[in-house]
Amino acid sequence: MDSFLLADARSVVAQAKAGDPAGFEALYRAFESPVYNLCRRICRTAEDAEDVLQETFLEVCRSIGQFREDGSLWGWIRTIAASKALMRLRRNKYRETDELHDDVVGRLREDHHLRMDLEAALERLPEVSRAVVWLHDVEGYTHEEIAGMMGKTTSFSKSQLARAHGRLRRWLGEEAVA
Amino acid sequence: MTHLTIDQLVALREPGLEPGDQAARAHLDDCAACRDELDRLHQRVARLRALPALRPARDRWPTIQAQLADERRIYRRQQLRRIGFAGLAAAASVVLAVSVGGVNGRVEAAAGTEITRAMERSRALEEAIDFYNPGARVLDGRTARVAEGIEDQIAVLDRELELLDARPDRSRQTRQLQLWRERVGLLDALVDVHVTRASNVGL
Repeated sequence: MDSFLLADARSVVAQAKAGDPAGFEALYRAFESPVYNLCRRICRTAEDAEDVLQETFLEVCRSIGQFREDGSLWGWIRTIAASKALMRLRRNKYRETDELHDDVVGRLREDHHLRMDLEAALERLPEVSRAVVWLHDVEGYTHEEIAGMMGKTTSFSKSQLARAHGRLRRWLGEEAVA
Repeated sequence: MTHLTIDQLVALREPGLEPGDQAARAHLDDCAACRDELDRLHQRVARLRALPALRPARDRWPTIQAQLADERRIYRRQQLRRIGFAGLAAAASVVLAVSVGGVNGRVEAAAGTEITRAMERSRALEEAIDFYNPGARVLDGRTARVAEGIEDQIAVLDRELELLDARPDRSRQTRQLQLWRERVGLLDALVDVHVTRASNVGL
């Protein structure tokens, strides 16, 4: 992933570690899109995601000296971004229980025979569930890692994932006809 | 027949074998409906991974860059103060030490006095810059670049002064004096930049 996003990652990191603004900007330009995408999938609004994007790169530029070059640069940046996005969720007092949310969506489906596409269904998931789905199924984090970042247990992460898939299945009209 | 729950199906994708997974796998072998459900789960995940990447509406780099520049400026200020005080103390100790020496001692004492003067002038200029509070003010692009260039040069001088402080030999004094004089010149230039900017905006 590093070499896909940034062909000369090693020299850019060396430049950034030396405090060269051109190195910082090269890092931003290379990773802006995947970081924003991750933040946008976790955060409630585009504005929040942009703020987290900014916070992430400020942290990357301040802490690049601590990055160990034998590790994955994208992995390091991604963990900073995910942690900051989850912090933003906590700060915004996310919904952990979402019965109300389910009710609303259920009514919408009944009233309007709405069949959502995947993008819309993902967007409608409660923030924490959506974060778990994205981090686990798309970014490839383990339940242990997600639990660590969220300050929760692995069981919490597992149950959020299962509930999220239950909802997605229902909202996408994928339930098996028994 | 009881079908697998969504929890069980989701758990089957995890590496390793949890308690109950074996029975769930055995059930899958016999149940086409659950196999289809698991397939749909895999397909859903594949579709999630294939969702188009979202991009920010605005370029945030200029804001990040400006904030980093502010932080760098504040850091340099703190460094300047730290070096200023440490250097002043060092110079004072040189003056005191050589005042009991002979002709060489008197020459060194004179250099020490000069260094002390340059340091005091440096500090006065830094206070003058603080008065304009440049960190809290918006500078136009050209002024900001000029100020940053001068601050970069001061940072290089400070780094050399720091290294000189660690050297025990007395020959460092000549170089120290030269560096402090350069530093005063740069700070004078920086004050000029801020005074000009302030007069342009009618402060």
